[in-house]
Amino acid sequence: MTNTQVNATRDDVMRRLRGVRDFLTDAEPAALVTVGAMSIALISAFIAFLLASPLAIVPFALFVVTAGYGWLRHQGLTARTLTFATTVSTVLILLLITTFIVVESIPILQYESATVLGVSVPGLRMFTQARWDAVSPPIRYSMVPMIHGTVMVTAIATAVAAPLGVSAALFLSEIAPATVREVVKPGVEILAGIPSIVYGFIGFTILSPWAADQFRTTGQGSYLFVGIVVGLMALPTVVSVAEDALSSVPESMKSGSLAMGTTDWQTMISITIPAAFSGVSAAVLLGVGRAIGETMAATVMLRGVPKLTEPLYNAFYGQETLTSLVANNYGEADGLQMDALFAAGVILFVTVLFISIGSQYIEWRMRRKLGGEG
Amino acid sequence: MMAGATRTRLVSRETSRANAVAGVAVVLAAILFAMSLAALFEVIPISDPIAGIPVVAILGGVLMLLGGAVIAFGLGSYLGAVETQPSPSAGVVAAAAFGIVWLVLVGIAVGRFLSLGSAGWIVALFVGGAAFAVTAVPREDIGSTLPAGAACLLVGATFLTGAIGPEWVWELDFEQTASLTAEFVIPVATLGAALLAGWAAAKAYGGFGARGRRMGAYLLIYLNAGSIVGVLFLLLAFTTFRGLPGLFTGVEVGPGVGPSVFGIALPVSLPFVMNGVALLNDFQGVLPAIVGTIWLVIGAVLFAVPLGVGAAIFLTEYAEYGRITQIVEVATNGLWSTPSIVFGLFGFAFLIPRFGGGKSLISGMLTLGFMLLPLVLITSREAMLAVPDEYRDASAALGVSKWQTIRSVVVPSALPGVVTGVILGVGRIAGETAPILLTMTGGTFVPGGQTVDVIGGFEFTAAPPFVANPELLQATTALPFQLYALITAGVGLGDNVASPEQFQWATAFVLLLVVLSFYAIGIGARYYFRRKLNHE
Repeated sequence: MTNTQVNATRDDVMRRLRGVRDFLTDAEPAALVTVGAMSIALISAFIAFLLASPLAIVPFALFVVTAGYGWLRHQGLTARTLTFATTVSTVLILLLITTFIVVESIPILQYESATVLGVSVPGLRMFTQARWDAVSPPIRYSMVPMIHGTVMVTAIATAVAAPLGVSAALFLSEIAPATVREVVKPGVEILAGIPSIVYGFIGFTILSPWAADQFRTTGQGSYLFVGIVVGLMALPTVVSVAEDALSSVPESMKSGSLAMGTTDWQTMISITIPAAFSGVSAAVLLGVGRAIGETMAATVMLRGVPKLTEPLYNAFYGQETLTSLVANNYGEADGLQMDALFAAGVILFVTVLFISIGSQYIEWRMRRKLGGEG
Repeated sequence: MMAGATRTRLVSRETSRANAVAGVAVVLAAILFAMSLAALFEVIPISDPIAGIPVVAILGGVLMLLGGAVIAFGLGSYLGAVETQPSPSAGVVAAAAFGIVWLVLVGIAVGRFLSLGSAGWIVALFVGGAAFAVTAVPREDIGSTLPAGAACLLVGATFLTGAIGPEWVWELDFEQTASLTAEFVIPVATLGAALLAGWAAAKAYGGFGARGRRMGAYLLIYLNAGSIVGVLFLLLAFTTFRGLPGLFTGVEVGPGVGPSVFGIALPVSLPFVMNGVALLNDFQGVLPAIVGTIWLVIGAVLFAVPLGVGAAIFLTEYAEYGRITQIVEVATNGLWSTPSIVFGLFGFAFLIPRFGGGKSLISGMLTLGFMLLPLVLITSREAMLAVPDEYRDASAALGVSKWQTIRSVVVPSALPGVVTGVILGVGRIAGETAPILLTMTGGTFVPGGQTVDVIGGFEFTAAPPFVANPELLQATTALPFQLYALITAGVGLGDNVASPEQFQWATAFVLLLVVLSFYAIGIGARYYFRRKLNHE
């Protein structure tokens, strides 16, 4: 950091501290005491809950009482504190999810460690061989078959959802007459609303037998059709985010192009899509994230055998994805196997979190470039 | 729209006749498109003849006709017989698309029929490159019609000569055996060829150039939008059609036939939604699952709405835009995209040990609450940001405190958006299976006697935590899980219900009905509020 940056940071901190001090001197002492008691009660209730103590109810009751009293006597400050607490708890939930699933997966990381150049790397063996067997020795919990499945399904789903979704978004934001839009837009929303288990059920009872018959495979379940169904489910996400991006392109840019005598299609191709390109790619990324995390359709339609397909690009057979592994095995799993399911969860969570952050970064850059507020 | 408005009627007679050719080609492509879809889903079996002619021959013939029409129009335009405004080239995108199509077509044909091995792929690469050149180099009217028309002719010829007949099978050389059968290849090849030719014909109909491209692109985009709505309609109609018989099994209408609610016997008896599963029941039903879903939704809403709305208020009204709001935003979006099964795992590790060590209703409620939270926060925040600053300033000018402004100005104005967001979010979580799979759900068939009764379940105890509710701490069921359990139950299903398939479809239908009614209410509310806003 340069000197000026340090100074700027220090000024910022000082300003904030002054703000807090002003706030404390301005507020009534009685109100501060109430809010303080409320906060302490809430924090101790949370800690007690973390420790799985049945006594957590006591500080929680205390919190409810103080909050009620504060609401009646010092509503402004109480409301501010309460809304702050809710904000903190949102971040806290994400932290808790991260901590808990990572902690649960530590034993399997230790079990599946492998040595590289004399250094033992925990968890490495999960990725260097492809054997998943929880029953007969050598007991191995490899993630490779499931990662392969997830990659296959996601790739096919993206191939379906990305072009169709972007084209539908273009239709909704630029082309469709108002009346048509009023029909198609809720339609896309309802498509998102159909529960994944219903998609899975229809896929399982109609699509899978049909596909097995068409491609003469042994048994049912193929990555190809799971991918298509999952693509249909990721479609609404792509459509709605891409549509937001396309309609955030300033109208003046489009009108300027149209005034040059271009057709509206030329305007879309040479002005709207390039301007909204990063937003549209963020939409596709979010669609990919949805497809990776889709569980029930994959669970019901796949075979549930953690193995690679032979050959690897054989999409007519569908074995297992990271999500379906958890849903299929949680029932009988215990000990290391359960921890292995948590490891699958960690892989899913981290991947999707990175995708989410990446797409937010892309969107943020686009908003800054267009100079509007989106 | 813009270009259409400026279109003149000064079109010569010859051009309109030529346009008719292009128009017919578009119609032919549309017919082929519909036929191939029908053949794919075995509405028209490809081995059966229609009016004495085999279906494959009909498809092949129409394809040849279509290809011929497209090429004829392109050549006619090139030779000046038809007045068009072609660009110097069809463009790199079209060239790449045609190059790939031809590469695949020839690659498959050579690999399948000539068995040249790797030399076959060299041939295919060469032809693909040639298709690229033919599209990119000559004028647009040749470039966009010739490769498309020729593809149609090739596919059509394969069908007409019987090189691919109804009995054709290509056994792929995979370790896990799979084959491409005629039932799949013929419709899909027809579909692809019809799309290509339809696009080329639409371009020709628009007279190439900027207008032609617009026409071709719009054809594909409208087709795509139509297909999405079509698929949606098909899904809903199909589920309804298959689900209704199961839903209305044993239905009775008459005074006093139904179960009594608050001491009054209902005039309708609908066993499927009013019964549980019991040995002595005439008709089995899913009442416990419905009640379970209702309680789940109530619990999740009670947890997530105060948290989400509170955080939205803090972020929009109190916090300055900066590091903290950014972190919360990233966290919220991260939560929104977290896979549902991960929420399930988290609930399993975090909530279950803290609520009695077994699966329980309250764990399910909270897990779904965690999922609902980001949806509520995002939509509430959007609604509050949409409240104009003038409202806040006007209120502040009256000398009231910040919180009073929020309470009496910001929240009421944002309420429609918040309510709509909550309803749509609820629709989403009501259909979730994965999170409750690990945290809440128990048996496949739940007797009516085990329907949860949360309100009646509260009791006070002497030991901490002093309040207990065994109903909340028990495993129960919900509609999406019920459907999952019915799918995985497999053969054993027949012992419990008379017609397993009807029972499954009826469950799917009821689930869809519950979830989509939330969506219908949410979307309806949005329209209502928006119209009200526009009329004020």
